Amino acid sequence: MIADAWTDLKRNKVRTFLTSLGIMIGVFSVVMLIALGLGLKNYIQNQFESLGANLVIILPGNVFKQEGGFAGGFGPGFSGGADFTEKDVRDLQKIPELNYVVPAFLKSSLIEAGGSSRYGYLMGTSEDYFPVMNLKPAAGRFFGVNEVNRRAKVAVLGFTIADQFFDSPVQALNETVMLTNERFKIIGVAEKKGDNEQDTSVVIPYKATFGKLNPNKTFFTIYLGINSDKNVETAKNKAEATLLKNWDKDDFSVTEQTEILATVNQIFDIINLILVAIGSISLIVGGIGIMNIMYASVTERTKEVGIRRAMGATQKDILYQFLTESVVLSLMGGLLGLLLAALAVLATRPFFPVSLNLLAVVVSLTVSSVIGVFFGVFPARRAAKLSPIEAIRYE
Amino acid sequence: MIELHHVSKTYYLGDTRVKAVDDISLTIKDKELVGILGASGSGKSTLMYLVGLVETPTHGQIILDGQDVSRLSDQQLSAIRNQTVGFVFQQFNLLNKFTVLENVMLPVKYSQTSLDFNPKIRAEELLTKFGIYDRRHFFPNKISGGQQQRVAIARALLLNPKIVLADEPTGNIDTKTGKDILQLLQQLNREFNTTVIIVTHDPTVAKITKRQIYIKDGRLVKHL
Repeated sequence: MIADAWTDLKRNKVRTFLTSLGIMIGVFSVVMLIALGLGLKNYIQNQFESLGANLVIILPGNVFKQEGGFAGGFGPGFSGGADFTEKDVRDLQKIPELNYVVPAFLKSSLIEAGGSSRYGYLMGTSEDYFPVMNLKPAAGRFFGVNEVNRRAKVAVLGFTIADQFFDSPVQALNETVMLTNERFKIIGVAEKKGDNEQDTSVVIPYKATFGKLNPNKTFFTIYLGINSDKNVETAKNKAEATLLKNWDKDDFSVTEQTEILATVNQIFDIINLILVAIGSISLIVGGIGIMNIMYASVTERTKEVGIRRAMGATQKDILYQFLTESVVLSLMGGLLGLLLAALAVLATRPFFPVSLNLLAVVVSLTVSSVIGVFFGVFPARRAAKLSPIEAIRYE
Repeated sequence: MIELHHVSKTYYLGDTRVKAVDDISLTIKDKELVGILGASGSGKSTLMYLVGLVETPTHGQIILDGQDVSRLSDQQLSAIRNQTVGFVFQQFNLLNKFTVLENVMLPVKYSQTSLDFNPKIRAEELLTKFGIYDRRHFFPNKISGGQQQRVAIARALLLNPKIVLADEPTGNIDTKTGKDILQLLQQLNREFNTTVIIVTHDPTVAKITKRQIYIKDGRLVKHL
């Protein structure tokens, strides 16, 4: 029966191709959108995971609502709320479960070095920032506690920044970087992290920001490194209790990576769903194309139906004949679309972390067969219900 | 043996009711060579399709070898049609996308029982017998009308049917080839013991039959 369907489809190569094209484009777009969505999700997930385990982040404002939902994006949460101070840091350092308490001042800034300039992040933090973030030097060294305390004008460049301004990380060493008109000596370059924020930032001792850069001596965020993953919950509660002495409940949020990750996943799942829904529209359009062609095919082959019926074909035989044809047509489009998507994924991979997963493959092939059946069944039924006598006489 | 008891067939052409076959009773015995004659539109083709189990009657009974076949399901009717009846049409009705051999083999696709012979060998035997074996890989539109009608007859005979129904079998071919085709039908009536029913408007064609049934306005008017 499939061979029969193939014979018929081969006779009208151009028509067969054009009809499959609809499904092909549909499957291609669905698979690509899933691949892009998943790629983006994986990318962001990796960013979080690269931050290191047992990390708790204190952010200003109420980032998460009580129910764990997301409070209107990052906007309001990030613009309002607490400006953390050295007192907060000192108070937090009294919690025994914490290995590290790392304050961070963050500011977007013009970065000038090696004769060129670009915008990036200026990050003022303590020497503990490097172990908490699992950072290793690609060249030179990181600054230590002494340099923080004596407000040394030293800087550690993110990999992307160093790569852009200098031929190699080593060449950046002992050069000068200008940050908002202040000169800093480059003592090290951090290895590539794959995290855009880290790779495009310049890290300097937080006390060195006090003054023109950070007149109020405040911090945007505080990272907490916890001594054991068993103590994450305890440390979180203690940190919250400590900060409540200095701030209102809505002024800050104590969040774990996993919490943020769950929210991010939730957002991406919704985005993926919307993308797939958009892609599915083209699948439906492709299905309608198949239906249209199958109706034309039934009319064209009315006499053939009559002849087959005279030879002993049952109504079911005729139904299956046309149904097989539309499923083959649709599945062929599905396979072509998948192949095209696989090629596109291979081509995009070097630039963007797209990923083709098995689910997308299975779903797209199942969906294209279902479309073949769904949009093929009406024309096939018409063929099966033809009166044999009238069909034989049809010219 | 085929028996028709008060068989009628009514169609609706839009809103108009057309009685194509009107209360016909007749019997066709096994191995008979019968002609059904009538002008075009007389209802003779409808009668043929009723006898060929392509359609079921609106009223009356059709008995095939003692079995009432007038109220069977599509599946049952198709199975009997496949095994018992072979059709030969005026337009040959071969499928141009299949080769001659594939056309002859077509009824095998719809056989609901397993065959006790190799259909391909039988198809090749029939093509050899009809002198068109060397055309077996040709497509129907590449051979002559007479050859196409032989292919159609081979197709009709493939599954050893008891009855062959020929609808104006010489209508689309020249007189000489027409004679050959009629001879062939006579021959298979004799050699294969097949009941042959020829439906025609042409009295000269009907001459080869041993019995003629005349139809007019859907009714049986003369029986010779």
